Amino acid sequence: MARIDDTLAPTGAWLQGPRFASVLRACGRQLIAWSPVIVLLIAWEAVARSGLVTPFMLPTFTGVLERIATDTASGDLPVALGMTMWRALAGFFISAVAGIALGVAMARSRAFNWFFDPIISIGFPVPKIAFLPIIVLWLGFFDLSKITIIVFNSIFPVVTATVVGVRGVEKELIWSARNFGTSERALTWDVLLPAALPQIFTGLQVTLPIALIVGILTEMAMGGYGIGASMQTASRFADSLGVFAGIVEIAVVGYVLVKLMSLLRARLLVWHPEALEPTTA
Amino acid sequence: MAVNGAQIVIDRLSHMYRPPHGKPVLAVDDVSLAVGEREFLALLGPSGCGKSTLLYLLGGFLPTETGSITVDGKPITGPGPDRGIVFQHFALFPWKTVRANVMYGLKRAGLPRDEQEKRAQAFIDLVGLHGFEESYPSQLSGGMKQRTAIARTLAIDPEILLMDEPFGALDAQTRSLMQTELLSIWERSPKTVIFVTHDVQEAVYLARRIAVMSARPGRIKAIIETNFDRRDPHLFKSKPFVDKVDEIWDLVRAEAIKAQGTRST
Ligand SMILES: Nc1ncnc2c1ncn2[C@@H]1O[C@H](COP(=O)(O)OP(=O)(O)OP(=O)(O)O)[C@@H](O)[C@H]1O
Ligand SMILES: [Mg+2]
Repeated sequence: MARIDDTLAPTGAWLQGPRFASVLRACGRQLIAWSPVIVLLIAWEAVARSGLVTPFMLPTFTGVLERIATDTASGDLPVALGMTMWRALAGFFISAVAGIALGVAMARSRAFNWFFDPIISIGFPVPKIAFLPIIVLWLGFFDLSKITIIVFNSIFPVVTATVVGVRGVEKELIWSARNFGTSERALTWDVLLPAALPQIFTGLQVTLPIALIVGILTEMAMGGYGIGASMQTASRFADSLGVFAGIVEIAVVGYVLVKLMSLLRARLLVWHPEALEPTTA
Repeated sequence: MAVNGAQIVIDRLSHMYRPPHGKPVLAVDDVSLAVGEREFLALLGPSGCGKSTLLYLLGGFLPTETGSITVDGKPITGPGPDRGIVFQHFALFPWKTVRANVMYGLKRAGLPRDEQEKRAQAFIDLVGLHGFEESYPSQLSGGMKQRTAIARTLAIDPEILLMDEPFGALDAQTRSLMQTELLSIWERSPKTVIFVTHDVQEAVYLARRIAVMSARPGRIKAIIETNFDRRDPHLFKSKPFVDKVDEIWDLVRAEAIKAQGTRST
């Protein structure tokens, strides 16, 4: 996604000259980068039109796009998308803040580590989504229980990444701050968090798609508004176009979120010698 | 050792590293040393003899378990800006630019913002990093990082300056310039300097007293007084200076060989 603004800038005689050539080159690069996805979509379209499968089993990609367009125009999609994103992002931000705070406390305090380390170790592999019925009993059917489930699933990678990151901060770095009179409390902001940011951010990058996936699963299980809920409804009414539309929507939203995270990472870690982000995309 | 007028008194100090896995290592063994106010003391010794450890103890980063260290009669309880340290491996904040690194200590000292900037700039210029204020440490050479670390510590004007091979990463030319700068700072503003180095000539040139440490576990093997006229442009070639360097070299070499011996067995 290099330099979109370059390609869009409508400046006079840009059709000639080196600028145009570089735009062409950039387009070419994008085309090559995206060609696997394009090939996949063409294959989808071809198989769907070939008559090998019924439109119910596999609707055409263009049909799905049309459906997305009508859902957008009718306002259904924006509402569903808004609801899904609101819960996923709320869950993500709560996980981020609470996970980083807990991770720092565990890395710096023996007592915190003693108490939470076994809980985190046991809790991480447990399928938290299985607690859905209980959470519903406790917290009801609405956003609160959905967001709670999202947080329970997506906090773990943040905590473990933060613990590892903060523990790995070089002691001389901490000492050099202490040498300038930095208190233990200020140390967290001044040294621990920035020094551990590469790892912490990796944890956040892992956890954002988890928040989205779990958010959609909670909608599928509990209903309400959202992309997952729409897919579930579509499925119930044997509306396969609706199901596939949901899948495409989630793929696009997920891609955009992952991409935004890696842009943010590059922004925040300008100082870091890393040249590559630990994500594909 | 009861020393009148000494600012730093190290008395029968030992330090044992106890790594969670592996054998304990006695890094500093029964070191006693007194350093006077405004003194410039060099610490020489073979690699691994405990020089950095001794500075960490003086800095208050490691707890004093055996023996004692007092500064102005008071035992050290922790780190503080009265004892500025330049770490052997620089320990710059990699997420801060050169300017922000140098300003950090000034901010912590509570200086107003414009004062921080002025002072930081002065010390960046002093170490010859003008034009690199906005660079991050990962974009600097080893010598430039080292100079940033020196500027950062000098900027807070500590009463006691602990320097761990501060010119180790510098080329001969820059090193010589930095030595001159350090001496003029030391002469301008009263400071006690403890200066770790591998370079005997540097030690003889800069320090008034040189403590030579033995191979690990580090003890003080000898303390040698030096006093040369540093303004003499031919000092490095003068007979007394060369003889002094040779004399100390022999001491250090003997210890280095011993250190090699203990390592290979
Ligand atoms: N954290 C640690 N845990 C265990 N042993 C350590 C630790 N730090 C240092 N040591 C040991 O203590 C000894 C002294 O180390 P120190 O870094 O003080 O040496 P030094 O004189 O500064 O060496 P150099 O000149 O190479 O910097 C070394 O033999 C080293 O193996
Ligand atoms: Mg050392």
